[in-house]
Amino acid sequence: MQLRDYIIRRLIILPFLIIGVSIIVFSLTRIGGSPIGIYLSHEMTPDEVAQIEARFHLDKSLPVQYFYWARGVLQGDFGWSGVSVAPVSEVFPKKLAATMELSVAAGFVAVTLGVWLGTFSGARRNKPADHVTRIVAVSGASMPNFWFAIILLIVFWAELGWAPIGRATADLYAMVPQRTGLYTIDSLLAGNLAAFADALWHLILPAITLGYGATAIIARMMRSSLVEELQQDYVDAARAKGLAERLVLKKHARRNALIPTVTVIGLTFGFLLQGTVAIEIIFRWPGLGKWMADSVLRGDQATLMTYVLFTSVLFLFVNLIVDIVYANLDRRVELGK
Amino acid sequence: MVDLPSPTQPGTIDAIAPESARRVRLRRFKELAAKVLSNPATVLGFVIIFAMLFMAIFAPWLVAPNVPDPYQMPRDWAATRMPPGTPGHPLGTTNEGGDVFYGVVWGTRMSLQLSLIVVFSTVVIGSIIGSLAAYFGGKVDEFLMRVVDVFLSIPELIFALAIAAILGPSFGNIMFALIVVFWVKYARIMRARVIQIKGSEYIDAARIIGDSNINIYLRDILPNSFTPVMVQATLDMGNVVLIAATLSFIGLGQAGIAEWGVLVSEGQAGIASGRWWASTFPGLMIFLWALAFNLVGDGLRDALDPRTEGR
Amino acid sequence: MMGHLETDMADAVRTAPATVASVRDLKVHFAAKRGVVHAVDGVSFDIRDGETLGLVGETGCGKSVTGRSFLRLLPVPPGILAGGSVTFRPHALCEDCDGAGCDACGCTGRKAVVCPSCRGQGCATCDGTGAETIDLLKIDTETLRKLRGDRVAMIFQDPGKALNPTLTIGQQVAEVFLQHRTDELIELAGLSPETGGALRRFARQDHRFGDGILLSLPPFRGQRRRIQAALDKMVARALAETQVPNPASLMDRYPHELSGGMRQRVMIAQALACNPDLLIADEPTTALDVTVEARILELIRDLQMRRRSSVLYISHDLSLVRRICDRVAVMYAGRVVEIGPTAEVFRNPRHPYTRGLLAAVPTADTPRGGLAAIKGTVPELVDPPAACRFAGRCRHETEACRRFDPTLEPVSETHAVACFIDHPAPEGDQPSFERITE
Repeated sequence: MQLRDYIIRRLIILPFLIIGVSIIVFSLTRIGGSPIGIYLSHEMTPDEVAQIEARFHLDKSLPVQYFYWARGVLQGDFGWSGVSVAPVSEVFPKKLAATMELSVAAGFVAVTLGVWLGTFSGARRNKPADHVTRIVAVSGASMPNFWFAIILLIVFWAELGWAPIGRATADLYAMVPQRTGLYTIDSLLAGNLAAFADALWHLILPAITLGYGATAIIARMMRSSLVEELQQDYVDAARAKGLAERLVLKKHARRNALIPTVTVIGLTFGFLLQGTVAIEIIFRWPGLGKWMADSVLRGDQATLMTYVLFTSVLFLFVNLIVDIVYANLDRRVELGK
Repeated sequence: MVDLPSPTQPGTIDAIAPESARRVRLRRFKELAAKVLSNPATVLGFVIIFAMLFMAIFAPWLVAPNVPDPYQMPRDWAATRMPPGTPGHPLGTTNEGGDVFYGVVWGTRMSLQLSLIVVFSTVVIGSIIGSLAAYFGGKVDEFLMRVVDVFLSIPELIFALAIAAILGPSFGNIMFALIVVFWVKYARIMRARVIQIKGSEYIDAARIIGDSNINIYLRDILPNSFTPVMVQATLDMGNVVLIAATLSFIGLGQAGIAEWGVLVSEGQAGIASGRWWASTFPGLMIFLWALAFNLVGDGLRDALDPRTEGR
Repeated sequence: MMGHLETDMADAVRTAPATVASVRDLKVHFAAKRGVVHAVDGVSFDIRDGETLGLVGETGCGKSVTGRSFLRLLPVPPGILAGGSVTFRPHALCEDCDGAGCDACGCTGRKAVVCPSCRGQGCATCDGTGAETIDLLKIDTETLRKLRGDRVAMIFQDPGKALNPTLTIGQQVAEVFLQHRTDELIELAGLSPETGGALRRFARQDHRFGDGILLSLPPFRGQRRRIQAALDKMVARALAETQVPNPASLMDRYPHELSGGMRQRVMIAQALACNPDLLIADEPTTALDVTVEARILELIRDLQMRRRSSVLYISHDLSLVRRICDRVAVMYAGRVVEIGPTAEVFRNPRHPYTRGLLAAVPTADTPRGGLAAIKGTVPELVDPPAACRFAGRCRHETEACRRFDPTLEPVSETHAVACFIDHPAPEGDQPSFERITE
């Protein structure tokens, strides 16, 4: 009952938050330069400019402009990408697939490694292994990911020549039919193991780089909640029942420590999304982040704003889902305090 | 049953008499300082911060400033792409003959300025908005807090990126973008704190004595809100530099200035040919800077958290 | 058990012929910032077969730490086992009388397991008693693990905290059987005793990668279900023992759905599931309502009588200890200051601290306002000096009490006290109950 009320309340607030974000995004497009800058050229007469402005309703009041803008967005009209020379809505899914492949791989690295490191560290509290893990975790949260990527490239690409750059070897990938846009999945679906290995090979280094910061966040949270759980009476009670330490950790403490750790996964998701921008530039990964950076430098507003709107809405939904999952997992949690 | 009265009763009397309240605060501060400094990681953070401060303040004595603008990288076209250890260029030079050591030192000064300005402005703006929301309550509170919610829905870096991109590449724009993005957390902290303190007993006591609202605010509420704001501000000192460097790296920085993110970005071109130093050293500075403030911020949070008592 | 006579008469507490556990000179220290806290500082007592021994004292006197040492449930670090021993003699139901108590072995229904190294002849490992003797503080963790929950069980103070909030009651009680009753479980499920592999691992809560898939395939699937059904049966039976209404439906509930009294019943069912020889009850009713408390006490008492378990009952509540304990040990500042049969200690307390405690307990004839509190508080136990721990709070102390440390000495066959009133100090003024020195 209580849980349902909470979810309903969150769902009611959600559209308002999305409208709020859209107002901010809209305001940004009206602050900097002209939103139609990319259609204008120096040879145009003021009349011609006014004509274009009228076509895009720029001669109306701001609220009316917002209305037209929002209607366009709802109809899937996100504007024109100057960088890709195509409508934003057309290019977006392809770029999104590339970014998703990278973020999911990084998220996988972060969750498995983070939970493992956090457990390892928390179970050995205040021992040397714990200190080392904590240092790794704190440095992860302070590491500029673009610098970490460059260091890894210096070592594994420039010096050792082990790691590749880019998303796939073009010749290999050309033979794989694109279904999902995720190279690893597509090559598996096509049964082309060479292409799969190649896609995976290209994915490893950027995924590790991107996942490192998130690993640190998860490991830290996992450690502190595990330490807290290990001090609970029920852990001693489990020991008193005759459970081996390994089982006490696995079935009692770690299980419960995972519950608060779920909450940081939402945070981690934002971290990964943000991280893709710099990582994609460095590894020449043709995803949203790189597209974004190119657009920023070219003054391509439509792409930029679509990106901001999209990531924020995605972020909101992920956080909502995480909260619901958390509330379901933890029967002790008090909702909407 | 053996229930003996505890010898000391936690005093709420302190707050009524301002003199003793100040003394209590001083004692608590001393205890806190001892606790913070007992954590070796926090001490390491402080050491790095002091080294950075030293570098920033004494930059003109460490490396002669570039004329006319010391924040512009000097170019020595006769000594481009020099490896570390070259006489006069201890950390080597960039493709354009910029001295990496110069960038490292003056970049520290720049980062200090940036983070101080951004953190100070956001603390002030956030505190004012948060306090107003808590003070007026009702619709004002509701409206301001929804605005805060909306701001928090956009991932930090992406928000700052959008603002800086709209305004065009420049260091000042990055600074402005960061202020727009970072004030929200302080508004939340201050609002929660003021509401909490507003409802507490000793503020009632102050009212009974006949204190004016502004007096209560300045003397009781502000000092009592200091600690959570301080923790967040410390963490943000690091975050601000990290995000600014990322924006610079992406290409929103000002080309040619002695800023770490810009230097990493410019040095990137050389790594294929084995010139690792131009990116490595400025990036290391960003890392150390963020690490130091994170260590201290975490140490403060742990020391203030009653749950970690007796660790 | 053979009539074994105590030779060491200085140790007045060791007069019982059949002891299930003995604590000798136990020292537990805690590393703190201010120094080493001597939380338990040389505690000795015996728990006799079938008896309830009350361990009373104020908060922080070391009684819980003593109780936890039986199962080595101390946080290490900061806790340090600084010395002493906690020996335990596992018992088994007497075959001759089947638990009724008989003369053949002079037992209370249970008798000690024969020492495996000397076959009852008496040797060094069993202290000459011929009964298997285990030092709980020295055995390896696997041996200890097998004893925990099976031979020595524990009930915790707050059942709300001692049950895992994310597991159902059934899952939690089942763990005891999975740890200690794997063979019975397989037998009850009607499977061959030779059953091994993934099924046996399932029956002892030892999950390996791939077992889940294997056990979901026939024929293992059906056999796994039979084990699960047998397990459910055992859990329901254990719960039914504690008189909970509808034990089968209780198994699927989570701890937060139950009342405090119900939770404590679950804890008791869990603790007594394997018929332990010794039950450590650490203030099991402190977190409960008074009305519930009475029923829980009755339940523990009843189950203990039927199973002949021994109980170490830790409490700060004297009136409660008086009601349910056969003997009582009074702890103060990390020491046992007085020990003896409950009736005798209450009738004739020999330690000023015990007297102070008793004066602070309201009884039917206490006049209004007649309750006396002991002045001062428990001293800090950081590097305590060689002096009576109670000096400074005692109404009868003298110079000698502040210079010498009294040891636990007998005042009668069964009763011992650590005070210079009954056992003169090496030199100096002797304290006495007649002289009040403020």
